[in-house]
Amino acid sequence: MASSSSSGLTFKLHPLVMVNISDHYTRVKSQMNPPVTSTSCSNTNGNGNGEGGDSAAVKAPAPPPRVYGCVIGVQRGRTVEIFNSFELLYDSATDSLDRAFLLKKQELYKKVFPNFYVLGWYSTGSDAEESDMHIHKALMDINESPVYVLLNPAINHAQKDLPVTIYESEMHVIDGIPQLIFVNSSYTIETVEAERISVDHVAHLKPSDGGSAATQCKFLCPLAAHLTSIHSAIKMLNSRIRVLHHYLVAMQKGEIPYENSLLRQVSSLLRRLPAIESEKFQDDFLMEYSDTLLITYLAMFTNCSSTMNELVEKFNTAYDRHSRRGGRTAFI
Amino acid sequence: MEAGKRKTEEEQQTLVDRKRKAEISEPPTTTTTVTMNAVETLVTQIQGLSGSPNDVVALHAHLNKVDEALRGESARLLPFLDQIDPSIHSLGYLYLLDACTSGPVSKELAANLVLITSRFITSCSTEQIRLAPEKFTGMCKRFKDQVLLIEAPMRGVAPLLVAVRKVQPSSEHLTSLHPDFLQLCLLAKCYKTGLSLLEDDIFEVTQPRDLFLYCYYGGMICIGQKHFQKALELLHNVVTAPMTSINAIAVEAYKKYALVSLIDNGQFSPGLPKYASSSAQRNLKNFCQQPYIELANTYSTGKIAELETFVQKHREKFESDNNLGLVKQVVSSMYKRNIQRLTQTYLTLSLQDIANTVQLNSAKEAEMHVLQMIQDGEIFATINQKDGMVRFLEDPEQYKSSGVIERIDSSIQRLMTLSKKLTNMDEQMSCDSLYLAKAGRERQRFDFDDFDSVPQKFNM
Repeated sequence: MASSSSSGLTFKLHPLVMVNISDHYTRVKSQMNPPVTSTSCSNTNGNGNGEGGDSAAVKAPAPPPRVYGCVIGVQRGRTVEIFNSFELLYDSATDSLDRAFLLKKQELYKKVFPNFYVLGWYSTGSDAEESDMHIHKALMDINESPVYVLLNPAINHAQKDLPVTIYESEMHVIDGIPQLIFVNSSYTIETVEAERISVDHVAHLKPSDGGSAATQCKFLCPLAAHLTSIHSAIKMLNSRIRVLHHYLVAMQKGEIPYENSLLRQVSSLLRRLPAIESEKFQDDFLMEYSDTLLITYLAMFTNCSSTMNELVEKFNTAYDRHSRRGGRTAFI
Repeated sequence: MEAGKRKTEEEQQTLVDRKRKAEISEPPTTTTTVTMNAVETLVTQIQGLSGSPNDVVALHAHLNKVDEALRGESARLLPFLDQIDPSIHSLGYLYLLDACTSGPVSKELAANLVLITSRFITSCSTEQIRLAPEKFTGMCKRFKDQVLLIEAPMRGVAPLLVAVRKVQPSSEHLTSLHPDFLQLCLLAKCYKTGLSLLEDDIFEVTQPRDLFLYCYYGGMICIGQKHFQKALELLHNVVTAPMTSINAIAVEAYKKYALVSLIDNGQFSPGLPKYASSSAQRNLKNFCQQPYIELANTYSTGKIAELETFVQKHREKFESDNNLGLVKQVVSSMYKRNIQRLTQTYLTLSLQDIANTVQLNSAKEAEMHVLQMIQDGEIFATINQKDGMVRFLEDPEQYKSSGVIERIDSSIQRLMTLSKKLTNMDEQMSCDSLYLAKAGRERQRFDFDDFDSVPQKFNM
């Protein structure tokens, strides 16, 4: 279903829409009963059975839910800008979205944002499905060519791009029958300063937790991005060298026939390091190394001290009978 | 009681006879007296039920029931201890031993008990002991009293160290045995063993009194070993620990804290950091004003003669606090302080000049002092004996070696684990009901933007 679109429309997506969809999905997922196990492992099909290879689950967890909603925005000429979104309920009986609610919401939004029109709808999952076409067609009476925004909620740390795809519908002739199919469209992210600040704030709300902080603020914190990229580069180098080492050991044991050209390459690689070998270099290198370590140490110290300071403040407020009051009220 | 008198006669007979006679007499059903028969059945039960963990739990329940009765018979339980093996039947042995020691103990009996108890502690099984930790702790405390009674604290040191390790759930927990162990180390003057226990970082404390005593004794042990830095840390912990009202341990610790601070840092400020409890901040100074804080003031003037007259004047007060030795060390540290101050002004100086500035009696003494300081690593200098000149040098450490890097690296790792622990504690504290109740009260009454729905008070 995914050749690239030929309509020539340019799509601009605002981060608010993505945060909304993600929030909707997370809320529904965490309110489900029994709770769904994390989808980050062995879930090739984002919509499929969550029982995958997860032997840790006591009873079979429910499959991750699909959430639906409407996206609104502005279309100026050939540019479609998607500003906002709201949630809709999916009626599986009629296999369509709740029309009455949609109209009511549209009216309300019109009052505040007179320029915004219903541009299309969104859902979650890893790929567009056949049943989505029904919903798509149903929306065609509001907008002749709606867009379909699809968010893939599976967390994939290796993935560099955003897990969001935008589909348009096009009439193609397949097997002699003209049909509507989904085609992939490219898009760019567009943001206003106020939006950027608030999305940044939301992204940092979660207490930092190693890996997730890095992926969350990859686009918002250049230092973390830089360090993460160095880390992944070194990790890759390490794994490649390990593979080579394993290969050489196997060659030594005689399990694999000798291959001289490969051995020559390995030896030339080894001869590239160390680049410099002198007393002065060693001295300077160690001095710079210890300087960097000291700075990290200092940073950690400051971090620890500030946590401890907060802890002491809380402790004094809670347990000290005559703690100093006043002078510390919530900043408005 | 008549039945009781008959029993004392029968003690002379053999085990078999005793059993036979006991079978004839009626077994009492009340829990106030326990016949030898019942004790023997108990012994056999102990021997039988010490196999699997389930059995031990059942045995534990049963022992709890007969515990009171056993205590009544404390004097006569001693011979039964030989029938059970401390390493296999630890729980039963513990209860019997505990009952033996619950009554008043004479000196001869104490000597015997000390032997039995130390053998028990070294050989008992940890899992069984952990089922009844309070009993074990109580028995060890009584063991400490017995050891002190026979005036041989040295004999208690090793067993108590083993006992502490056995009863601790993890090396981060503080038990009530820690301060007892340290007290014995102090009395027996074996400081090194005490130091080995002080290496652990403590994160979990159940009884505040344990913490106070542990840090206070620990500080004294470190002073004994001249580890002034660590002593300062430990005494600082006592002084700044949370306390609702001031206690004697904190007062004594504060006095020592002042003195050690003078020896180690050369200065002492009576103010306490903000994480000290407010009662400590207000009251400690008053208790220690005379003569400790005045001693600190005299020290800061830098004049040895004044310091010595001051010490002489208040000699009795220092002596009654058992701090005279420490005060003498403060005086000798004054010389060191003055010599160190000289390194900042002069590049070279003659020994005679040093003696004059620092108010030492002769150049020879000055040479001795400087030599000692060079050996201790407190200053960097070379002494030219030909013309009696001392040349002060810079610290030669360049911090370039890989050893330094390893040290920093391991410190960073330790700091990271500590930071995680702190964040956890902070989060726990934020959820604490007392904190939330008080924090809610401090919010502003009105938000300017909107009258939001956050409650003014969290009614918990």
